[in-house]
Amino acid sequence: MYAQAFFVAVFGLAAIGFGVVVFRTSSMVRSALALLFSQTAVGCMFLAMQTEFLGVLQIMMMATEMSIMAIFMVMFMMDPGGMGGMDMTHQKRFSIGAGVVAAGVAIVVAFWADWGPVTAEAPDAAMQTRALGMELLGRSMLIFETAGITILTAMIAATAVAIPVQTTANIADKEDTE
Amino acid sequence: MTLVLIVALVTGAILFGIGVYGALSQTNLVMIMMGVELILAGALVNLVAFWRFLHPESYSGQMFVLVVMTVMAVEMAVGFGVAIARFRAKGSVEMEEAGDLKG
Repeated sequence: MYAQAFFVAVFGLAAIGFGVVVFRTSSMVRSALALLFSQTAVGCMFLAMQTEFLGVLQIMMMATEMSIMAIFMVMFMMDPGGMGGMDMTHQKRFSIGAGVVAAGVAIVVAFWADWGPVTAEAPDAAMQTRALGMELLGRSMLIFETAGITILTAMIAATAVAIPVQTTANIADKEDTE
Repeated sequence: MTLVLIVALVTGAILFGIGVYGALSQTNLVMIMMGVELILAGALVNLVAFWRFLHPESYSGQMFVLVVMTVMAVEMAVGFGVAIARFRAKGSVEMEEAGDLKG
């Protein structure tokens, strides 16, 4: 039990530490990498809590997602390397207050709530994966299918938004440059 | 065992707080999305802890985690789509320059 608490705490501290670095560093690539490490630490917390399938899924998904995010950040940021020392924040005091209040309220609830009896033993990894599969293709199938359709819709919508609009002015400009 | 649950819940709460700070304080669309990712990561930690320590017999908890992961992926896809469109139209994804999006 203490070993589990130790590892959950260590990975939790790593997730929090890298989460802070995301908004502290001026280099955008470092920000993306810090978020990747933070999300990986969250995945490791899942593994420490004996939720193997979700832990591995979290690490794999976030590794891909954050690599893409790093590329976008370099493309879109005015100062991706952070060499210019630009301040890219606003309403700092209000944001810090809101963050502290949000975290504080959640921590108070965590300590004060009566969580009831806590289970010591979790099902083993193979049993969990099998039971989750049965859940996905049984009782929660509609939710699972809806999630899949939502991702497909988001992919199509994102591509549609990203494709440049072909107006007559655009076409004329293109022809002029050619 | 309650100790592990509390450690996980406190970690989730702090991640949530950092995410709220990031989402409110950053001026760049991609950085705001990073804040939202941290908020959702905090929610994920709580969900897994609730499933593991309170209801390991019910797999609806794990299903909920998969739904939140889907929300993370959708947020990224749509966010980057909007970022590309905005960058093409205005040459920047700075939210302080996006006052024209107000209704």
